[in-house]
Amino acid sequence: MHPWPQPQGGPHYSACHFCDTLHEASPLVEGTAARCQCCSAVLYQNRPASLVRSTAFALTSLILMVVVHSFPFLVMDAAAIRTNLTLASASAALIREGSPILGIVLVLFTVVTPLILAGGLLYVCLPLMFGRVAPGGFFVAKWMSKSEPWNMIEVFLLGVLVSLLKLNKVADVHFGLGFWSFAALMVSMAAAVAAIDRHEIWDRLEVAKS
Amino acid sequence: MKSAFPRAAASGMAGCHTCGKVSPVSLGKCPRCGSSLHLRKFNSIRTTIALMLAAAALYIAANILPIMTVVELGDVSTNTIVSGIKTFWRQGAYPIALVIFAASIMIPLLKMIALTWLCLAASGKLKPSPGMLGKIYWFTELLGRWSMIDIFVVGILVALVQLGNYMTITPGPGALAFAGVVVLTMLAAMSFDPRLLWDRLDLLESTHSLPNSSDS
Repeated sequence: MHPWPQPQGGPHYSACHFCDTLHEASPLVEGTAARCQCCSAVLYQNRPASLVRSTAFALTSLILMVVVHSFPFLVMDAAAIRTNLTLASASAALIREGSPILGIVLVLFTVVTPLILAGGLLYVCLPLMFGRVAPGGFFVAKWMSKSEPWNMIEVFLLGVLVSLLKLNKVADVHFGLGFWSFAALMVSMAAAVAAIDRHEIWDRLEVAKS
Repeated sequence: MKSAFPRAAASGMAGCHTCGKVSPVSLGKCPRCGSSLHLRKFNSIRTTIALMLAAAALYIAANILPIMTVVELGDVSTNTIVSGIKTFWRQGAYPIALVIFAASIMIPLLKMIALTWLCLAASGKLKPSPGMLGKIYWFTELLGRWSMIDIFVVGILVALVQLGNYMTITPGPGALAFAGVVVLTMLAAMSFDPRLLWDRLDLLESTHSLPNSSDS
C-alpha cells in the first residue's frame, strides 16, 4: 500500500484547530502523530495500514448493521405476550405513541448517522486504495465528518442495559442476537473511525483527483 | 512576553474546518473541499450563549415534566427523570442510579456551567487560561452525547411495554424537552471556538508586556 502521499505544490501548512498555531506540515512515519508546539493538541497522525483498516472495519460495520436490524435486541415475555425489540420497532412505537420527533431522533442518531459514517468511509476509502475518487467522493467525505459527533450507538447500547434492569422486575427479559451484534458494531465503528486521520483522507482525495 | 507561536490568523491564513487545509482566508472558500473559510467561527460567543440559554430553559422543563407515563392495571403514574433515579436508588441499584444521575442531571448542568465559563473567558471577563479551559472544553464535547441515554431508555420501554390492560408506557413531554437539551448543548459546544481563548491570552500578554518593555 502506498504511504500517505503529499499533494502537489507546497510547502504545506497545518493550523492547530485548538490554538491556531501555524506549523509547517511535514510527512510522518507510520504510527506517529504530530503535536502542536503551543498546546500539544494532536495536529494529524499517520495511522498504520490506514486505508486497509478503515475499509475493512467500515465493511464489517455495514454487514453488522444488516444483522442488527434483522434480529431483536431484547426479547420480553410478560402477560403471555412475547415482545421483540428492534431499533425499527422502538422508533415506530415512539411515533405511534405520540412522540414523532423522538422517534425520528432515535432513528437519526442510531441508524442514519452510523450508516452515513460507515457507508461513507467505505465509499471514500475503497476507491482510494486504487488511487481513485468515487463520483461525489468529496461530497461524501464532507458529510461523513459532519455526522461523526452524532453517532450514538454506544449510548443506545447502555440504554438497552438500563432498560433491561428496569424491566427485570416486571417481566422475563433476555438479550437477543441483535444486542450482541450491536455491541460488535460499536467496536467495529470505533475501529473504522480511528483507523484513518481526516487529513490523510483529504490529502489522498486531493492527490487522486489531480 | 509576546506570544512565541505564530498564529495562522496573524498571516491571514485559515485552516479549513472540514478538510484541514490551510489557505489564505481571502479565497473565501477552501480550494480543496469548497467549505467556506473563516479565521474564527462566525459570531461564536453569541451563538453559543443563545443556544445555551435555550438549552437551560428546556432543562428546567425536562426536569419538571414527566418523561413517561406508566399505566399499570388502571393505575396511572407519571415518571420524571428524578423519580426514575429515586426508584433505582430505593431498589438498591446504586451504580445505575449514579449513571443516570450523571448522564441526565450532572452532565447537562456541568456542560452549561463550563460553556458559560468558556464564553466569559473568551470575551475577556474572566482570566483566560487556555490549558485548563481546553481540557474542560474537550471534556464537554466528549461527554455531551451520553446525556441521550434517558431518551433511549424511554424509547425502548415504550416499544417493549405495550401489554394492553396489564401495563402500557407512553412517552411524556419531558422526554422531548430533554432531547432538546442534549441536541442544543451539543450544538452550543460545537459553535464555541476555543481559538478565541488563545486570542484573548495573546492580547493580554502583548498589552502587559508593553509597559514592561518601556520600563527596561
